Amino acid sequence: MTEQEVIKLTNEVFVDSFEIEKSKLLPQANIFVDLGLDSLDVVDLVVALQKKFGVTIRDDERVRSIRTLGDLQQFILTIKKEIGK
Amino acid sequence: MKRVAITGLGVITPLGNSVETFISALERKENASIYMPGWEKYKGLHCLVGAPARLEDEKLIPRQNRRSMGRLSIFAVQAAQQALKDASLPQEALSNNRLGCVIGSTMGSAESIAEAFEILIPDNDLSQLPSTKFFQCVSHTAALNVGQFLGITGTVMATNAACASGLQAIGAGYDLIRTGQQDIMLCGGAEGLHPTVVGSFDVLFATSTKFNQNPKATPRPFDAKRDGLVCGEGAGIVVLEDYDLAKKRNAKIYAEIISYSSFGNGSHVSESNRQAIASCINETLIRAKISPKEVDYINAHATATIQGDKEEAAAIAKIFGDQIPVSSLKGNIGHTLGASGAIELIASLMMMEKNRVYPTLNLEDPDKECRGINHVMQPLSKKINILLKNCFAFGGINVSLACKKSA
Repeated sequence: MTEQEVIKLTNEVFVDSFEIEKSKLLPQANIFVDLGLDSLDVVDLVVALQKKFGVTIRDDERVRSIRTLGDLQQFILTIKKEIGK
Repeated sequence: MKRVAITGLGVITPLGNSVETFISALERKENASIYMPGWEKYKGLHCLVGAPARLEDEKLIPRQNRRSMGRLSIFAVQAAQQALKDASLPQEALSNNRLGCVIGSTMGSAESIAEAFEILIPDNDLSQLPSTKFFQCVSHTAALNVGQFLGITGTVMATNAACASGLQAIGAGYDLIRTGQQDIMLCGGAEGLHPTVVGSFDVLFATSTKFNQNPKATPRPFDAKRDGLVCGEGAGIVVLEDYDLAKKRNAKIYAEIISYSSFGNGSHVSESNRQAIASCINETLIRAKISPKEVDYINAHATATIQGDKEEAAAIAKIFGDQIPVSSLKGNIGHTLGASGAIELIASLMMMEKNRVYPTLNLEDPDKECRGINHVMQPLSKKINILLKNCFAFGGINVSLACKKSA
């Protein structure tokens, strides 16, 4: 999966599941402060991403250090590379 | 004991999403029953008629409040907003712990519960379940969501008793104000329409199955051709207030609640029982210190089931004879289950305001076992000073509430 594809699909999750305007979906946007997600949303974000990308990330320690949208997109890209997709 | 006034009304119904549009539709004798496309895919579902409400403006509720709301909670929140606006409470009323809410429904959001199991069952995989689905599914979802959305810090309670949920909520709120524990209560019920809910009545042979091709002719409360209930959905919320406080702030008072009672029949999980119903109604009259002839109108539960309607008619006949006008609004909006007691009480309060009784729609020929009472089959002009509202639920839960017009 290319970086562009990861960005596109991640953005779809934020638009569809969290009703966030596309214009706010910048790599430097803080998921909590700028995009307004809270702890309950993060649980559902994980579920939505798992479904969107066909990955398991819930128990991955690296999830805890994600702060920005860019962090998240890089993390997904890394996971996809690790599983060879 | 304090007196309790009703000072605000709000509804979402199969005939309109405001009190005004709902009542206008009743005056035009409209019936909300329609053939429900897609229900035929459920094997073994015989009733394909429902009375849906319209879900609209839900995105006006901010996402982080709305995420925990299934269909019925959205209805409850919208009705609560209407009722609050109608009551014109001062701004500070919501911000102290003397204002609470009691809201009931048969269950959590049926649609959300079905979605949750559709996700879970194929692979027994919990990891696919969104967290917020849980809050949509819990039985107290309506009270939870109204409480959180409005920032309520008073008593928040859920009365989940199927068809009696809404009226039990109003009774519970009445008791909380009467005993001085709260000053203002938002009370009522909500329900969402879903084939699984209809299915639960369908398997008991309680639904209407003969009118799938002619939905407007059903349900038919008390009628000789009745063949069962039609499920509806929506929400009804009333604002109850300490009567003296309401008077002090010159609030509009629709009526005063003068008594409420709820009793079980202790005899059968699904069948109504005329003695138990009569006993509950009698207790309501005793608590209100009124005689049967002082009641001006009875809004019946009458869902159009063969058994339920005749038991209620027999109980009413025993106490009131054929003197007091009786009608059921389920011919118009179907059975809105947890919301029914509240929605139908609100309609009754509007009848009281307009001095007009709305008839039982689709009642053309009262069944011989439902006779002996004064069926209203055409609109009736009548001054209503005292009204009685009945609700009866599975488990033999009987509820009756009396209201008096405020001077």
